[in-house]
Amino acid sequence: MARKAVARTLCVAGTLIATALAASWMLVGGDRRMLLIGETSDAHHQIEAACETCHAAPPFASAAEATKALNKTCRNCHEDGLRAAEDSHARQLFRSPRMAVYWERLDARLCTACHVEHRPEITRRGAVTVAADFCAACHSEGDQDVRKARPSHAGLTFDGCASAGCHNYHDNRALYEDFLVRQAGRPWVAPSPVHKLAALSRAQKPPQAAALQSSAPLAPATALAEPKALRDWAGSGHAAAGVNCAACHAPTAAQDASRAAVEAQWSAAPDTAICKDCHKAQAKTFAQGRHGMRRHPLVAPPRDPSRGLQAIGLEGLLPKAAAAWLADPPQPSRMTVAEARLPMRPEAAHESLDCGTCHRPHAVDTERAATEACTSCHDDAHSRAYFGSAHHDLWRAELAGEAPPGTGVSCATCHMSKLERRGKVATSHNQNAVLRPNEKMLRPVCLDCHGLGFAINALADADLVARNFQGKPAVQVESLEWAMRRAQD
Amino acid sequence: MQRRSFKSMNTALAAAMAVAAVGVAAEGVSYRQAADMLYLVMSSDRAVYARKVVQRLTRDEQILTASEHFEDDAALPLPAQMFRFGAEMAADKTEDFSYSLLSLHPVNKKNGPGTDLEREGLQFVADYPGENFYGEEELGGERYFAAVYPDVAVAEACVNCHNNHKDSPRTDAEVGDVMGGVVIRIPMD
Repeated sequence: MARKAVARTLCVAGTLIATALAASWMLVGGDRRMLLIGETSDAHHQIEAACETCHAAPPFASAAEATKALNKTCRNCHEDGLRAAEDSHARQLFRSPRMAVYWERLDARLCTACHVEHRPEITRRGAVTVAADFCAACHSEGDQDVRKARPSHAGLTFDGCASAGCHNYHDNRALYEDFLVRQAGRPWVAPSPVHKLAALSRAQKPPQAAALQSSAPLAPATALAEPKALRDWAGSGHAAAGVNCAACHAPTAAQDASRAAVEAQWSAAPDTAICKDCHKAQAKTFAQGRHGMRRHPLVAPPRDPSRGLQAIGLEGLLPKAAAAWLADPPQPSRMTVAEARLPMRPEAAHESLDCGTCHRPHAVDTERAATEACTSCHDDAHSRAYFGSAHHDLWRAELAGEAPPGTGVSCATCHMSKLERRGKVATSHNQNAVLRPNEKMLRPVCLDCHGLGFAINALADADLVARNFQGKPAVQVESLEWAMRRAQD
Repeated sequence: MQRRSFKSMNTALAAAMAVAAVGVAAEGVSYRQAADMLYLVMSSDRAVYARKVVQRLTRDEQILTASEHFEDDAALPLPAQMFRFGAEMAADKTEDFSYSLLSLHPVNKKNGPGTDLEREGLQFVADYPGENFYGEEELGGERYFAAVYPDVAVAEACVNCHNNHKDSPRTDAEVGDVMGGVVIRIPMD
């Protein structure tokens, strides 16, 4: 009997302790990843410990409130991208009550209708968690039945709408019918292919500054004794623009003429936040992409445990050490290669991502950053096949001065598209903007050089993509032909 | 006619302006009056855009064009598109009212009648030119007051585009014809 009583007591105590721990993690602080109900999807896994980034509703909120808050946080990070994509199924199109009949089939007012997090068993590419034939929910009946409205679609099934290279749910900027018709007839490659914005970007020279004076407060003698750093810097755009050592290593003293002030403020390894002072567009877009999303300003900061304790009436009652123990673990501000879910080089596992990882802080080498930096970490078939591809040959020719600016195709040409504003070009560091579905690349990247028909087929051919476009597309997407046939009728 | 406090329609700035303009107290505006005022603002804005922007710059001064694919063509949005963008933006900001530009012969099928009331209202304004249609309907478990206002082709450009568009089910429209209707809904609960 005594043994049973002890066992029962231990069982109750264990349950109480586990409950208290779980409650403290949820309401006060601590590493909550143990409470995750399923593996977090790719990219979001980088911020999974910062639960409030997505789960913004207060504890004990109703399911409706929690869903509303959850969907609002999706838009915090993704709305700009959807707007840029001219979202074909924008949320506001479905908020009118006249769309109520569709809400029960597929509630397109909510991101979570199609993208449920922590459900790896049903998650497909693009973090999509609805069945592949989801278009049937709205486009299979009455006037909306595409099989009746388009004779070419009569025998089609709905599982191919968004997977055959013809349509996307959100981004159809390069896939809508009139655009297909306008682009038809273009050759597979232009006679003189040039990526216009890349050409414009490479024509932009860094601002030339007056020669630095020997009396300028450069750096402490110990730093100047590093010949490689100095040599790299001397050949960089920073040197040409008069951005000297102190500008990054002792920014608060950079305007001071005193070498002593520079030495006093000197930081041997300044945080890359300093880059943001001059490279705002690059820093902003870096935090929007997968490389830098841990720096996104809307990632929730660690919780203040005193607020949680106050909410449950325990503030001031716990010893300081106990309260400190309850704090959220610090959140890493950099993504590491070791945490990546794409194939990576094992020797790069120790790398973490900030500006200097790709650009080398002293050389600020944009050519290396456009290719070699990528493949120093990425180790998938597409990346490996780049070297030796036609695109790489063009890139080498441009770097060698044998071909005009904008004719070379680096990794960055396709995956870090250029942004143009009032004649000035900057590189978007948000590779997500032109990544998946890969038809997003058509307008900003492919069509400068290639015809739409060829480009759609090439992007739809997964093997050709893996070979980094060495060869011809073996896939024929029929949408362009169908659009032309209908236009000619 | 049921009445509803207008307080919750704070976001309907345009409607509030209309209320002030006609000197009606903010409290106790009927659904019909509210819908009529909303329509007055939106139809006026649309007419101003059509005349003072599109017509002036495309037909009179001939320095710009207006196009369905205005971004690709570096052109002006069509007046109907401008109207829809406003409806979408309002829908993004409030559930206190919604509006749509619909037709029994829509170029884009999603703008065809989707409810019995829409079908009845669009048919009514087509059959009785100059008349509006008012009614109530239940959608998604909520009761709505709905008003349908006739949308008349005011210029050759309207009918030419609709008659020649490859997706248009109607090709015999003439200036002065009712092409469709503006549907305004206000929740009654």
